[in-house]
Amino acid sequence: MKKPLDEKELTTQAKTLFDDSVERLDAATLSRLNQGRQKALQETRDPGSAGEWARWVPAGGLAAAAVVAVVVWQGVPVEQSAPAAGTATDFEIMLSEDSLDMLEDLEFYSWIDTAGTEPSGDVG
Amino acid sequence: MNACAGIFAVSCSGEQPKEARTLQRERQLNQFLAGVERRALRFAEIAVRDRDEALDLVQDAMIKLARNYSGRPEEEWTPLFYRILQNGIRDWHRRQMVRNRVMVWFGRSSAPEDDYDPVAQAPDPMGRTPDEQIESTEAMQTLERAVAELPARQREAFMLRTFEGLDVAGTATAMGCSEGSVKTHYSRAVHTLREVLGEHWQ
Repeated sequence: MKKPLDEKELTTQAKTLFDDSVERLDAATLSRLNQGRQKALQETRDPGSAGEWARWVPAGGLAAAAVVAVVVWQGVPVEQSAPAAGTATDFEIMLSEDSLDMLEDLEFYSWIDTAGTEPSGDVG
Repeated sequence: MNACAGIFAVSCSGEQPKEARTLQRERQLNQFLAGVERRALRFAEIAVRDRDEALDLVQDAMIKLARNYSGRPEEEWTPLFYRILQNGIRDWHRRQMVRNRVMVWFGRSSAPEDDYDPVAQAPDPMGRTPDEQIESTEAMQTLERAVAELPARQREAFMLRTFEGLDVAGTATAMGCSEGSVKTHYSRAVHTLREVLGEHWQ
């Protein structure tokens, strides 16, 4: 197994590689850096001119995140809780006094149901 | 009342007009930023692994330095600039973490590409052979990967001390921590990198 580099060797080699990669930056990148620098210098002449809109980016991001959170928060529980809500409603209906009365008249309602499905001629 | 009286006495006596001072300051700032921008870009690029994002971070740092600190003594600009840049990089990582969580929640992965290679296509200004370029590029990629995998504070300490050549005090200012913390983070980073890179570089 190879022994670890000593600190001096490591930092010297790392710095050389880093400097080398800095020297190899392409013209398009250097141009963009120059543009960024000019915007920054504009700040010394006219404070607030560069990136004025950018101050609103965090607020915009927060607003967008809030919208997403609301959509997610409202969207997911609706699908999951709908059956539960329906079940609770069924229980309420079943346990109400009217429903118990209905159970007592079950034979009557059964007769109405049967009569309703039979041909009208037989009834009259 | 004399305009040059009181607290303004020093600044008004025998001084250049405001416009000339602003121009001189602008020249100094331009010189400073031109000297630091390339290294700052590579610094940010190693930290975020994306050139476009790194360019935005460097531009933001330059604008904030000009807006808020251009009046400070010139010798303070380097640690201040890197402090602003570091803060931008940390914010970027926080945003990425949130974004990744959201993407995972929606069942999508936003993991960075493993084949990231920022300098492979760039022409070599030193006139080296393609083999030498490949060797250097591969060594840099190995270094970048190893540095990128360090804990954030260790990475900051190592990059500021080694790549930017800041002393312990300047690094502490840039990182917003004590000099003792800088020494600890740097020492741990070097220890890890010696072991990781020793396998590749010897």
